[in-house]
Amino acid sequence: MSVIGPDMADTSSVIAFDGISKTYPNGTVALSTVSFEIPKGTIHAICGENGAGKSTLMKILFGLEAPSAGRILLDGAPVEAGAPAFAATHGIGMVHQHFSLIPALTVTENIILGHEPRKGVLIDRAEARRQVTELSARYDLQVEPDAPVSTLSVAAQQKVEILKALARDTRILILDEPTAVLSPPEIEELFNRLRGLRDAGMTILFISHKLNEVRALAQSVTVLRGGRLTGTVALRDVPDDKIMEMVMGHAVEVARREHGAANGETVLSLKSVSTRTREPADLLHEVSVDIRAGEIVGIAGVDGSGQRGLVSVMSGFLRPGSGSIAFNGQDMTRADSHAWRHAGLAYLPADRFAQGGAPALSLADNAIAGTDGNKDLQTGPFLRRGRIAARVRGMIKEFNVRSFGIYERLDSLSGGNAQKLIAARELATKPKLLIADQPTRGIDVAAAAFLHRRLDEAARNGAAVLLVSADLDELLRLSDRVLVFFAGRIVADLPNGPSLTPAALGPYMLGLENAR
Amino acid sequence: MMRSILASLVQLATTVLVIAAVILVILVPLSLSQPDPGAVLFAFLLGPFDSVRHIGNIAEAATPIALTGLASTVIFRAGMFNLGTEGGFFLGGLGAAAFAVMVGIQGPLAAPLAILAGACIGSVACIVPGYLRVRHGAPEMVTSLVFNFALLFAGLLFLSYVLRDPTAGALTSPKIPADARLDRLLQGTRLNSGAIIAVVACILGGIWLFATRSGLNTRIVGSSPGFAAHLGLPITRITMATQVVGGLIAGMAGAVEVLGLYTRFTWVSLPGLGWTGIIVAILARENPFLIIPAALFLGYLQVGGDILGRSMDVPSEIVGILTAAIMVAVTAKIIFENPRLLRAIRSIKQQEAK
Repeated sequence: MSVIGPDMADTSSVIAFDGISKTYPNGTVALSTVSFEIPKGTIHAICGENGAGKSTLMKILFGLEAPSAGRILLDGAPVEAGAPAFAATHGIGMVHQHFSLIPALTVTENIILGHEPRKGVLIDRAEARRQVTELSARYDLQVEPDAPVSTLSVAAQQKVEILKALARDTRILILDEPTAVLSPPEIEELFNRLRGLRDAGMTILFISHKLNEVRALAQSVTVLRGGRLTGTVALRDVPDDKIMEMVMGHAVEVARREHGAANGETVLSLKSVSTRTREPADLLHEVSVDIRAGEIVGIAGVDGSGQRGLVSVMSGFLRPGSGSIAFNGQDMTRADSHAWRHAGLAYLPADRFAQGGAPALSLADNAIAGTDGNKDLQTGPFLRRGRIAARVRGMIKEFNVRSFGIYERLDSLSGGNAQKLIAARELATKPKLLIADQPTRGIDVAAAAFLHRRLDEAARNGAAVLLVSADLDELLRLSDRVLVFFAGRIVADLPNGPSLTPAALGPYMLGLENAR
Repeated sequence: MMRSILASLVQLATTVLVIAAVILVILVPLSLSQPDPGAVLFAFLLGPFDSVRHIGNIAEAATPIALTGLASTVIFRAGMFNLGTEGGFFLGGLGAAAFAVMVGIQGPLAAPLAILAGACIGSVACIVPGYLRVRHGAPEMVTSLVFNFALLFAGLLFLSYVLRDPTAGALTSPKIPADARLDRLLQGTRLNSGAIIAVVACILGGIWLFATRSGLNTRIVGSSPGFAAHLGLPITRITMATQVVGGLIAGMAGAVEVLGLYTRFTWVSLPGLGWTGIIVAILARENPFLIIPAALFLGYLQVGGDILGRSMDVPSEIVGILTAAIMVAVTAKIIFENPRLLRAIRSIKQQEAK
């Protein structure tokens, strides 16, 4: 039996994307005219930052979404993308980043779900078990067929996910960030299995933003940036920094904010703060940082590198396991969110409709929320409707919020306008510290530019601003300095300037370099 | 503002359509089997308005469910699906009767004090499940449901061994002193001053919910807990306070019902008006001002059904099916339009899955 290695792979392409575009009904362009081919029997990586369009492209290939334009060819023949049961018909399996297993059911039940072997109206349990055992032996993925999924480790659950994806004569397997939840030995084990599947003739699409993993596993890579294709290359032909440039973009000159002197007093000081948590995004390890009045500190890092933990300990949602936090000269290590706000924190949360506001309440209610005891807005326990209306109309005008009226629900606004209203409320408190977590994600350019001006203005008025963003252009445009997080640690503290480019941040964000 | 007014007009129109559809499907075929089909429709739809007495009956039927509806509204607005209002209603009635009989205060304070006693005793039914939820995370829907029955049997124990009138033939309390009973407002009906209490309570509830800081904070906690946490609101305290107030109102509803309609306390099973209150709260979209029309609507259905059953040759079971079908259809329509209720139902399903 001859093993088909990567170098001997059949060169005919199994999947070809031809001018795929996707525009969502709200106007967001997720993909524009993406075309490339994937050779049969290879592992092909798809790289790109958050929001580059990787997931949308895979959803289109998996048939979950229909492209707005373009077509997909499988084995050279055009297929109707976005049709129901598309994936099952064409032998495409997908392992999602977030597992879709049902914890209370057994491994066998999870794998056969949706295509159960039947005996009359009943499920043929013996046959189901035999199928799973056979599947597990065929692909050399050992699982315990009768164990409830809730009792399995994360790595074992992932094996079940993979088997589930392989269960229906699969020939194309998509893995979306499969290593995010695994430890290094588990990753090595997974990679060996995937190489085995490839050698058995399977075509594998591997979505990742970790360059070292892409290099260890894949033969070729397609890079997306901002919904456009930046290129498809064979990995052995190109060095790391070239791929990095493809991911991050060329050193485009960004219009940076004119930096203040930033010699204000230290407003916030974290001293070797660590968190005890199992949640990677909340994990902090010995983080020390000082933020001064009047400066904007940018936080960069691949999603889930500890940014959420940093914001949580700085707003009273997560108590540090060790270390200390001082804000405005007060010890805030164990303070709750009420104490933080009282001490002068304003916060634009990343999830603006779950934490930034109450979608089912009116603009007026949202705009005055948290102003308890404000004598201008209430008499005793009663709210002063006229005063409130006047103030909210003023906020809406000043922040250019396009609305149908102040008594409409918050979720009648677009994301950008809702964020402007939330910013208006938070900035009205004249904060000493402002945390802006992904302040312009998913927002149109004009609203984003408006919010950028407001953040700049807040810093000029003496607020310390912490800007967490996945958008590197935004970070470089606004920050006085940039802290890079990787795996819960600050790996670089870089002053902003013309020499600081996305490409210069890349090695730190991907964990290839550590400046500390 | 214009948009929301238009949206609610559309909702009202679809509600009317749903009711018309149910009547078309159930009442029209039924009336065709009668000698005079028009009279059946007329009796059910317009009968409740044909005399002052019938209009009084509507208000009388609406009184307890307006109060239990308000209790559920206060509780639901804090994001809790606490169903203790049924047990609270029962216990409130028993507590008020026991207080009136056993303490024996006379004069104008007798009724208010008995209502207060009923409210305090009844509130336990909502406070305990609320506390178990905020302290220990026990699902309030399950605990309150179970607790209602525990309270029923505890109440029956009390009624059988302490409060029972040994001279009466059935299991009932002694006669409630006249001073403690509520004044009748309309000759020939049992409409009593409890109706005034219900209207005032709903208006006060609406003012609290929409025009005070505490009401705003409660709406934030209930509709968007993540936002409440972001603002640093005292979520536990607000949640607990609404369970106490909701329980007090449910207890008051039971007290008003017993002191307004009966001469003795005779309930030996859960009266079901707490459950109806939940439907009223849903119909009123958890808006205290809308509780008054929602309760009157259910009262109207009940009176229309009674007239149909009494004056036509229509079995009372059919009447029950008709009113129940209208209630189910209207409630289902409103639940379907209410994302928060859908979410509550989904979370209940998830809890069941665990």
